[in-house]
Amino acid sequence: MNSKSTNLEKSKSSLKVRTIFQVLSLVGTFLIGLRHLMPGESSRGGAFDSFCPLGGIETLLPYLQTGQTLKTTNLLNFALLIGVVGVSLLAGRAFCGWICPVGAAQEFLAGLASRLTGGNKKRRGKTDRLILPIKISQKFDPWLRSLKYLILAVVILASTWTIYPPLREICPARALFSFQLSAPLLISVLVVFIITSMVNRLFWCKYLCPMGAALAIFNKISPMRLVLNQDSCTACGRCDPECPMDIQNVPENLRSAECIQCLECLETCTVHGSIQIQLG
Amino acid sequence: MKIKPDQYPLIVIATLVIFTVLGLALGFVPSRGGSEEHGLTPTQVEVASVYLNNI
Repeated sequence: MNSKSTNLEKSKSSLKVRTIFQVLSLVGTFLIGLRHLMPGESSRGGAFDSFCPLGGIETLLPYLQTGQTLKTTNLLNFALLIGVVGVSLLAGRAFCGWICPVGAAQEFLAGLASRLTGGNKKRRGKTDRLILPIKISQKFDPWLRSLKYLILAVVILASTWTIYPPLREICPARALFSFQLSAPLLISVLVVFIITSMVNRLFWCKYLCPMGAALAIFNKISPMRLVLNQDSCTACGRCDPECPMDIQNVPENLRSAECIQCLECLETCTVHGSIQIQLG
Repeated sequence: MKIKPDQYPLIVIATLVIFTVLGLALGFVPSRGGSEEHGLTPTQVEVASVYLNNI
């Protein structure tokens, strides 16, 4: 009983830290977008797009082929991509779960939808039926998840013959943070992004994000990972409903390519030491 | 080696900073503009200027 309460107390502090990280990420990206409303973008490190690590992937092939980056991107994209790859080499998709502002926006929108539909009464670790967000049927879920890998492949191929980054006109990060909603397409992207995020938690991350697809492989090779203590796990299933990526049977899939290392499973677990973070 | 959940976010953010700085040190800094026309009206620029001056 004592170890249970100690574990839950620690959980609360970890949850708060993650929320703080996500708020800082959102505010920081909003400020970058706001700063780029001013004239003379080149004096501030380039266009808004040059502050995106995905831009590094989008402009990599053209840079290797011609020595020139795509328009609106520059070498700063590579520096940020190196930062994200560094995190991923150590801790898998921790960037997705802790730092990505698009993921943070989705989590807050899903939280808002849940509150608006009475979800604030949901008990942690319980499979209470919520109106919003809903879960996609297991029949379609695996197929939809593979879409993001297809999008990544298309983006990389398309980057060799485009002038601008291929995803630029339908990028939810631009729609959310750049304050440049001049094109109707980008406004549509913003509306769709908000609706899908409220209807299904982390919809973009699970099904469409090419950055997540690129980082998925690191979950299999990163030395810092979640591990299960088979002896103490009671297979109670409390962690399953809390997984924001809707991974089924979480204890058996701690190294899933879909895991964003958010530590929700560890935080929900009431048996101290059943799920741990291990290095090496 | 076990990592405490409290230490996890610090390790993640420190790694991100270290590798990003490494990327910058390797020379991946904006060498050419990569800029574009912002396409905003003078009023929008004025509103943004007032906001940025007040924060």
